[in-house]
Amino acid sequence: MTQDFVILCAAGMLVSTYLMVGQKALVVAIRLYGVQSLLLGAVAAALGLVGHRPHLLVTAALTVVLKAALIPWFLLRVIDRAGIRREIQPYVNVPTSLLLCLGLTVVGYRVTLGVAAANTGVPHQIVGVALSMVLIGLFLMVTRRKAITQIIALLTVENAVFLAAVGATVGMPLVVELGISFDVILAVAVVGVLVGRILDRFESMDTSRLSNLRG
Amino acid sequence: MNLLVATLAAPLATAAVGAVPGPRRPKEAVLLGGLAATLALSLATARRYLGGETPVAFGAALRVDGLSALVLVLTAFVGLLSGIYSVGYLERNERSGFVSPKQRTELAALVPAYLAAMLLVCVSNNLGVLWIAVEATTLASVFLVAFPNRDTSLEAAWKFLVLGSVGLAFALFGTVLLFAAGGGMLGESTSALDWTKFMAHARTLHPFTVKLAVVFLVIGYGTKAGLAPMHTWKPDAYREAPSPAGVLMAVGMMNCSLYALLRVHLVSRAALGPEFSGRLLLGLGLLSVLVATPFILVQWNLKRLLAYSSVEHVGIIAIGLGLGGEVAVFGALLHMTYHSFAKPVAFFSAGTLAQLHRSSDLDAIGRGTLGRTPVASGLLLLATLMVTGSPPFGLFWSEMTILRAGFAGPHLAAVAIFLAALVVLFCGFFYQVGRLTLGPDTRPADRPTAPERLDLAMGTTLGAAAIAVLSGFSLPGALLSLVHAAVRVVEGS
Repeated sequence: MTQDFVILCAAGMLVSTYLMVGQKALVVAIRLYGVQSLLLGAVAAALGLVGHRPHLLVTAALTVVLKAALIPWFLLRVIDRAGIRREIQPYVNVPTSLLLCLGLTVVGYRVTLGVAAANTGVPHQIVGVALSMVLIGLFLMVTRRKAITQIIALLTVENAVFLAAVGATVGMPLVVELGISFDVILAVAVVGVLVGRILDRFESMDTSRLSNLRG
Repeated sequence: MNLLVATLAAPLATAAVGAVPGPRRPKEAVLLGGLAATLALSLATARRYLGGETPVAFGAALRVDGLSALVLVLTAFVGLLSGIYSVGYLERNERSGFVSPKQRTELAALVPAYLAAMLLVCVSNNLGVLWIAVEATTLASVFLVAFPNRDTSLEAAWKFLVLGSVGLAFALFGTVLLFAAGGGMLGESTSALDWTKFMAHARTLHPFTVKLAVVFLVIGYGTKAGLAPMHTWKPDAYREAPSPAGVLMAVGMMNCSLYALLRVHLVSRAALGPEFSGRLLLGLGLLSVLVATPFILVQWNLKRLLAYSSVEHVGIIAIGLGLGGEVAVFGALLHMTYHSFAKPVAFFSAGTLAQLHRSSDLDAIGRGTLGRTPVASGLLLLATLMVTGSPPFGLFWSEMTILRAGFAGPHLAAVAIFLAALVVLFCGFFYQVGRLTLGPDTRPADRPTAPERLDLAMGTTLGAAAIAVLSGFSLPGALLSLVHAAVRVVEGS
């Protein structure tokens, strides 16, 4: 029962990643990231309640507060200030992107077939979903132009790593998780400052304009 | 207070004081005093290790063995050099009339903060703490790259942040997988991620999961080390970062990332045998040396030239570690040591040339610098001799040690390619620096060069050069025993 719920949530995360690939409105992408984080929180909470691992509940609470609320709010504020709504034409068009991502999911599943499911009772699906999300996140980073999209892709990769951490292991030690969460917050703040400076300079968040350095 | 904690607290406190705006001279005194104290505490920690103790803190999350002690001392040394040079650098910028109090505060806070994060990397015994510390170094250095606040520096900072974050996400995924490979046997407390624990349980880790984890970890920390093909952030970041920060990235960060790679390599070797991660390091190292070659030959910017030299050196060290065996590992760690002494001279003298000519582009500087700025150009030539591994300087001996071990081992083809690349790199680097410093003066008369003077920055460069030359002839006994201790950690005897 729990297992089904966990796998359902993980699948939901994968679906939200696909939806990110499939559309261009930045607001929607940020909301999708929020939903994805909420599902991650649900996975952690479910595993924590059933397995009597209170530190997973802390992880779940942190995830929901930081990644489903605080970070999306911050990113929405940034794009509001920048007055930017949509991703411009990506380097690879949407249908092709979706097909390629399907391939990446197959690769992710195939590679993780050999990974031990540890002894948490969670099958290798979780690691498969996590690796697929890592690969799709990377794909988004290299094919999209807006700084914000690249950051959402990076945060998706980070969510995927956390999914692997709570799903495929008994959960990373709490201190380490706290440290990682703190670093993620700092990273988002750094990104905010940097995007601010890029806006002041270039009056655009289009990273394809950042192409003076070659050789 | 615990000596190890004090070693980490000193630069952190210095950074905190540096972040508060205040009168200039006292702040400079705090910065230099704090960095000198950091070096003294690091030396004391290393001395304690050589005396037979194993300094630990916070359970065993922080622990100093031979490898940590070596990297700790080298990093703290470079930190002090970079701090002194940063004061001289600002002094010079002020003479030519552009330095804001904000920039002053930024540099005084970021240099020690970056150093503190790096020191945490090299004493962490816990893979989780290690990851957190490496992430902290990235965040601190992003602002150092963006420091000049030009269009190109924002571009470089953005690339650096995105590539670095991807690398770190990979490293974190690898850490999770390595933890999963333990299958719950490692426990759930913080110490479950301790490196010593992984080593103790290495044989019982799930082999395939370890393999996957090692690939992710090597790509992740390899990105931070600047191993090809993940090195693309390096030339941009080195060009934009001010020279005091550049040297921290080129020496401190490189050593610390290599430290992380070595820890991963050791777990992998204990779990899977030496071939898997050894070949991975050998392959990436060889690729780095090869990739650096063409870019050095066609380079148009002095600092980017240094960046590709750094890609070359990280490659050489990775090759030594990948070959394995006592001699090759000794060569690699000796190379790391000599490189830490030689590279600052190159960065500082190149930085001086760039500041006096207001640009680091080779064409903008113009040829024949030896006539205009004899001291800085002479030092750059000396640094080139050292960095390219010319006899009788230290890097020549360490490269020969690695080559000797390589030709005695099974990877003859790889070592032959390595040797050929070294020769081309030597010629290429000399061609570039020779063209810049020697030959007729081509700088237009309407763009005069600022006169060279013996200021603090130049004094630091001269001091660093003296240390680098002397160390090549006789390495202090204690430092040599640290290198040997580090070799023992790696070779497990």
